Amino acid sequence: MNPSRPFATHVAVREGRIAAVGDFEEICGPRRLVVDDRFKDKVLLPGFVEGHSHVMEGMMWSLPYVGAGDRRSPEGELVEGLPTIDAVVARLQEAEAAMADPEAPLFAWGFDPLHIGSHALTRQDLDKVSTSRPVMVIHASFHISNVNTLVLNRAGLDRATNITGVVLGKDGEPSGEIQGIAARFRVFRVLGGNPLSGNLTAADVDRYAASACVQGVTTITDLHNDLLDQTVELYRAASRRPDFSVRLVPALASVSHAPEQGIEKLKALKASNNEKLHYGIVKLVLDGSIQGFTARLRWPGYHNGAPNGLWYIAPEELPGIVATYHQAGVQLHIHTNGDEATEVALDAIEAAQTASPRPDHRHTLQHCQMADAALFKRMKALGVCVNLFANHLYYWGDAHYDLTMGPERAGRLDATGTAQRTGVPYAIHSDAPVTPLSPLFTAWCAVNRVSSSGRELGKATEGLTVEQALAAVTIGAAYTLKLDHMVGSIEVGKYADFAVLGDDPFEVAPDRLKDIAVWGTVVGGYVREAPHA
Amino acid sequence: MTATSPATIPVTVVGGFLGAGKTTFLNHLLNTGDARYAVLVNDFGAVNIDAGLIARHDGATMTLTNGCVCCSIGGGFSETLGKILDEELAFDHIIIEASGVGDPWRIAEIALIEPSLRLNAVIVVADASRIAILLEDSRVGDTVRNQFDRADLVLLNKIDLLDRAAAHDARKAVAALRAGLHIVETSQHAMPALPVGGPQAVSRFRASEAVDVADHEGLFRRWCYRRNAAFDAARLDTALQQLPPQLLRLKGHCRLEGEPAALLLQLVGRDWSITRAAACGDTEQNGILLVAVGTDDLPDRAELDAILDRALSPAGDAPSRQVLKDNAGIQSPATQFPSPREGQLPCH
Repeated sequence: MNPSRPFATHVAVREGRIAAVGDFEEICGPRRLVVDDRFKDKVLLPGFVEGHSHVMEGMMWSLPYVGAGDRRSPEGELVEGLPTIDAVVARLQEAEAAMADPEAPLFAWGFDPLHIGSHALTRQDLDKVSTSRPVMVIHASFHISNVNTLVLNRAGLDRATNITGVVLGKDGEPSGEIQGIAARFRVFRVLGGNPLSGNLTAADVDRYAASACVQGVTTITDLHNDLLDQTVELYRAASRRPDFSVRLVPALASVSHAPEQGIEKLKALKASNNEKLHYGIVKLVLDGSIQGFTARLRWPGYHNGAPNGLWYIAPEELPGIVATYHQAGVQLHIHTNGDEATEVALDAIEAAQTASPRPDHRHTLQHCQMADAALFKRMKALGVCVNLFANHLYYWGDAHYDLTMGPERAGRLDATGTAQRTGVPYAIHSDAPVTPLSPLFTAWCAVNRVSSSGRELGKATEGLTVEQALAAVTIGAAYTLKLDHMVGSIEVGKYADFAVLGDDPFEVAPDRLKDIAVWGTVVGGYVREAPHA
Repeated sequence: MTATSPATIPVTVVGGFLGAGKTTFLNHLLNTGDARYAVLVNDFGAVNIDAGLIARHDGATMTLTNGCVCCSIGGGFSETLGKILDEELAFDHIIIEASGVGDPWRIAEIALIEPSLRLNAVIVVADASRIAILLEDSRVGDTVRNQFDRADLVLLNKIDLLDRAAAHDARKAVAALRAGLHIVETSQHAMPALPVGGPQAVSRFRASEAVDVADHEGLFRRWCYRRNAAFDAARLDTALQQLPPQLLRLKGHCRLEGEPAALLLQLVGRDWSITRAAACGDTEQNGILLVAVGTDDLPDRAELDAILDRALSPAGDAPSRQVLKDNAGIQSPATQFPSPREGQLPCH
């Protein structure tokens, strides 16, 4: 990703930074060198930069995973995906048997009926896991859960009701599927709390860093966080440990602060920045998700006729928020899934930029999955960056083709090719734990543009080359975080951050990109071998 | 679900689009509350409480001297509400502000399934000056319309800023959303108390606290009762209970036989009260002057007059029972129907 030395055999590291790069003779300058040849059979890439993921990835792995696709745990274990309801039940039974406290609730995560033939998980299935212990399975979407009959009984939700989100089964009785504010509130009351909204722990942060190492990630975001004092303290302590092997970029959640408060808070937080902790960006969430039918779409809306989605910020409120942060010099990361939300975000940025022009603001649209060429041209004109959700092509590409967008719009879902042609600075991301953290997989998605059923989605027009895709998960993502002067390429002066790979991504077939083994990472010269369980 | 038990705490959800006046209403309730409210708000910065009322303010929670607390939802809605339920403080009422783009019913459902709570009402505040436009807006029209789907009561706010035609259009646009939607007109300076007693009582509450504005095209009828006489306290209750249900509110000055002072009579629905009137320079203080508002099918004046005439004290001498000229419908509404004092409505 360094045009001056796109390929090199040697790199010299001093004080955590890259001192020289080239062949052996080139790096042998006037200084004395200690040769470290432990990576002579490996391939060093710039450390991957995950521009959109969440520390919740670290929290999730304290719970059993029951999703359909394979995932690698922070311990390096390949946790196999579960293709059937029976397999889900079996894994839950195994986890249940290992629990010491008979009263403690069993939580699990990652379930997605779409990927196991739309088979629903019922309370009867979960009753096979336990009838005496509360059981809750959290879907991959994080908005839906399934519980066993015990939980329904305790919550008083065991009879048919017209409460939204207490889903009824074929028998007209509650199936155990729980959605929405009210039902979730009640269920978490009887479960003694939501394991995902509890306080972050040091172990969660360490697991997040471990996952990063396992996937070759050396700079990682936590792209929506209230940044409560306790979290700030955990991040401070972790980032100062020499063995904390990832650079962390938390984004302040705009929803929990008025802009003026947010600006003040960031000012204080930035004072505590260190080499591995980079406060400064703010995250705004404008709409919901496409597959949940809560994204805001322009005409003609959802392919299957579903009503338009939800605004999380009122369109008329956005310009004021954007302008306040913009004028204060803060960089914004704005979640817009549907194209109507993208349009509203660009309107707000255009107004802010017109009122107070600010060079190099690098406001970034996150996900931005449905933008067409005209919207990309506006991004270009406004100096806006984009971080596209390439993993969606694989995980929900079929749903987008059949239900949400239809064939034509699905073909330009996460239009990396358009971004490339238009000259909009772009990155690609996983939104972990929504989809697996793995920049190589994300790059594979952007190159191959193939859905989980094997359908190609606009590969000819929107597919990236391997080189472009690897740039998107390194220097491209670094640019969207305004960290490209420090990370994202192997270049003299930058941090010595590397992803250590078993194979050269330029030599393997493009459809094998995701299968390249990650040995571990180097972060600021600190070498960490990923565990291989 | 579970039967309502006296131990449950009533919940009112206040919804409405951005800028409708939700916070104005909540500020009003907090400032004037004589019940212990727990109020959950989205934007703490907009909460405006009389400084003298604030007992303690620690970041996300404000405790008031009148027993109310106001909590910011910033740290997560479920967590905030959970905390209030866990604290076991005896609140008389929980009032939750829905987000400006949220659906208040989704929150109201919590009160239907959480056994310690019961739903009092979903109140949606609408900005009369722009609601008709918002409802048709291509980007937010669906969001705004959905907010009214399960509303028990709509506060059509900022009505004082509109002329008669515009106010009519605003009311028409909201009324067209759903048959039977109860709409009360309000302004920043004239907000109602919290209606309590569950959805049925709330529906009776309609227009009871209405801001006194133009009588829009026959949606309401007014009735003025004026007598140079005094009521007989023993008969008054019977007479008031005989007033027809179309009569929504009655308010004004009167005298009771044997009481020298002028008294303030207020009737809302079937509930009425008599209190000592504040000196207000009303020239009719020696007699009875009551102004009422009812729906457009309110029975005619003579019938209503006859009901209250039955409560007049027989002890009064003949001239005092003389029926004075009744000029209802001629005076401007503002003088006909005493407005609630700004921000001074009682909390029930």
